[in-house]
Amino acid sequence: MTRRRWLVHLIYRALVYRRGRTLLLLSVLAMASSLATALGLVSYSMERRVAEEVRKYGANLVLVPEAAHLDVGSGGLNFGVVSEPSYLRQDQVESALAAGGIKAERSFHLRGALQWKNLDLMVEGVNFADIRRLFPWWQLKGGWPGASEAVVGSDLATRLKIAPGSALELSAPAGPMTLRVSGVVSTGGEEDNLLFLALPELQKALGLPGELSQVRLMVTAGGGALKRDASSLKKLLPAARVSEVRQTARTSEGLLAKVKLLMLLVTVVVLVSAGCSVAGTMSATVLERSKEIGLMKAMGGTRLGVMSIFCGEAAMLGLVGGGAGYILGTAIAQFITETVFSASAEFVPWFAGVSFSVSLFLALAGSLGPMTSVFTLDPVRSLRGE
Amino acid sequence: MLFRILKNSFFKRPKAVFLIFLSIAMGAAVATAFLGIAGEISHKMALELRSYGANILIEPATADGGGFLREQDLPKIKTVFWKYNITGFTPYLFGVGEISAGAKRERGVISGTWFNKELSVEGEAPSVQGVKVIAPWWEVNGNWPDAADEAVIGAALAKRLGAVPGSVLGVAVHGRTRRLRVAGVVTTGGYEEEELFAPLATVQELLQRQGKVSRVQVSALTVPMDDFGRKDPASMTKNEYEKWYCTAYVTSVAKNVEEAMAGSRAKPIWQIASAEGALLKKLNGVMLFLTILALGSSATAVSTSLMASMAERSPEIALMKAIGADRFQIGAIFLGETLIISVAGGVTGFLLGDQLAGVISRSVFNSTIASPLWLFPTAIGSALAVAVAGSIVPLRRALLIEPVRVLKG
Repeated sequence: MTRRRWLVHLIYRALVYRRGRTLLLLSVLAMASSLATALGLVSYSMERRVAEEVRKYGANLVLVPEAAHLDVGSGGLNFGVVSEPSYLRQDQVESALAAGGIKAERSFHLRGALQWKNLDLMVEGVNFADIRRLFPWWQLKGGWPGASEAVVGSDLATRLKIAPGSALELSAPAGPMTLRVSGVVSTGGEEDNLLFLALPELQKALGLPGELSQVRLMVTAGGGALKRDASSLKKLLPAARVSEVRQTARTSEGLLAKVKLLMLLVTVVVLVSAGCSVAGTMSATVLERSKEIGLMKAMGGTRLGVMSIFCGEAAMLGLVGGGAGYILGTAIAQFITETVFSASAEFVPWFAGVSFSVSLFLALAGSLGPMTSVFTLDPVRSLRGE
Repeated sequence: MLFRILKNSFFKRPKAVFLIFLSIAMGAAVATAFLGIAGEISHKMALELRSYGANILIEPATADGGGFLREQDLPKIKTVFWKYNITGFTPYLFGVGEISAGAKRERGVISGTWFNKELSVEGEAPSVQGVKVIAPWWEVNGNWPDAADEAVIGAALAKRLGAVPGSVLGVAVHGRTRRLRVAGVVTTGGYEEEELFAPLATVQELLQRQGKVSRVQVSALTVPMDDFGRKDPASMTKNEYEKWYCTAYVTSVAKNVEEAMAGSRAKPIWQIASAEGALLKKLNGVMLFLTILALGSSATAVSTSLMASMAERSPEIALMKAIGADRFQIGAIFLGETLIISVAGGVTGFLLGDQLAGVISRSVFNSTIASPLWLFPTAIGSALAVAVAGSIVPLRRALLIEPVRVLKG
């Protein structure tokens, strides 16, 4: 047999002979590396998951025409329009977004006023499919509108005594129009005082085809994407004023940073403690091998030879433990992500490397005791039983 | 005799004892750190989410959008049932007027508000209320207003008027004029940029609406909404209503503050409240799972280390049996060792875990944490339980084997 085959043979036999001990060590290593993998995967995807969650707070980037004043009907105040409105062209906005490669979720809005029974109603044109997806805080009583249908804000509905199902006769610059009220929306915000209908319908009614008063974007928080998108939009759309909505943008950045730090600290604390615990276990198990070492040295084993047997054992245990740990850890991380976020964790193959290195590190750390004694042991004394 | 044996077993095998001790201490440290921070993390995260702004709006109950609330009712907000959940509130008084800076003039909204007002309510601790407290995202270039004639102007309005910190603005409402000095320019990307903010008293005087406010924004800690919380309070039985009222849903906190302000109507600001509820639920879910994971792995680590050490010592057990010890005596020796090591390890682990929890809390949230009192006995007790559980199986197995087989090797 060649030397290398002998080495493998010895290692294998040593591990099999003390089956119980080997299984114990394997389970400990698998547990430690699965913990490392699970924690690592959860932390890694935490940032992205939380960034997706904070989109529910609404837009963090807003485009308005440079010359526009924000309507004083916004922010929940109801003083009507204070100045002459100006608009953005929808096709320009869309091509700018495409040219800038901006993949953020977006919603288009147009504000105007329509007359109803000699009263000026503030109206907003939106794409209701976008609203359902991007504005989850709308509390809608009734149904989502179809063609020629509208949604009324709850305060407006109460004030003007408009109920779902009623028909509104409105007069617009393009002519009279009738809308059926399909539902009432309440949000606690400015939506409560507005009437919503489909964007193209409002554009036609106001005689402003293809015009918008506002574009709201939800750029993924974290990683500087917001600044990048804001600056590229500023260049591509000189007629627009690009504002970061600090209420959502800044707060989300702060929150994400805290979540990241928390996950990092938690992972480090758990891994270091678990690692110490496991290293302790491993050392306790492999502590008493002096007799074996003494025998091998007495038979002529070189220090290097004996070391390589121990290293080989540790490597074997480490590899098998690491592999099992990676599979188990991925399963745990997947379970946690599915249960909490209803999304699957990303499949990160290079985490296998993390798992293996944790496992190998612990296996070697555990064998450190016997390995150092290889150098210092006097075979005669150990064989004699001291 | 038992004590002598135990003492010797500790002193004769220091390395092995130390390793077991280390294993137990680290396991207990992880468990303590996690249990210590788990409850606090939830609270701290909820506080963090308050930085997104107010989640309750109080308006006059009159349906036509006019009407006012009384400023004198505001301190009552600090005395309601949910007062400890309310982290801050700010009143606003609106008016539209002509704002002029030099030659330029604009029609704009003037808002009176509190920026950083110290509020002392009888029977309650003094607190600070105002925009600075509930809207931390305001970026003010310059200073916050200090005096009655200072104001903060929104960035968009400032740009049109050419106003900078230090400029003097003329504000005219219904023929009454007032000169205000710009202390700072605020950027928010929202509707604030189109307004001029001045101290409440100044604007009340300008608009001749002393003692009145238009609306109040309240920032409160709430629990996520669930199906029970979404039920209409009007349709609840008395018991259900009490349960609803005593749970910090955003709807019940809103109802509570509505009762404090006469003639008001409070509604949740759903954009903030619903996102917050969903996010908190998920963060708590992750922390719960991580806690289970950490506890499970520390229990496994400790029990396997005991298992390992017990298995290594079967020759000793066999020898003791061979010289005539019975099972109870052997059990007493080994379990006695386990008891001592695990109590020592549990105490050390608890102290270490306490420190770790403090480190995490300070680094992430800049605040201290106090480990709950029940954690100490729980940590020791569970360290003991896990250690004993880990030792039992190999001990029994070792006791059952014939001494001859073990002693032979």
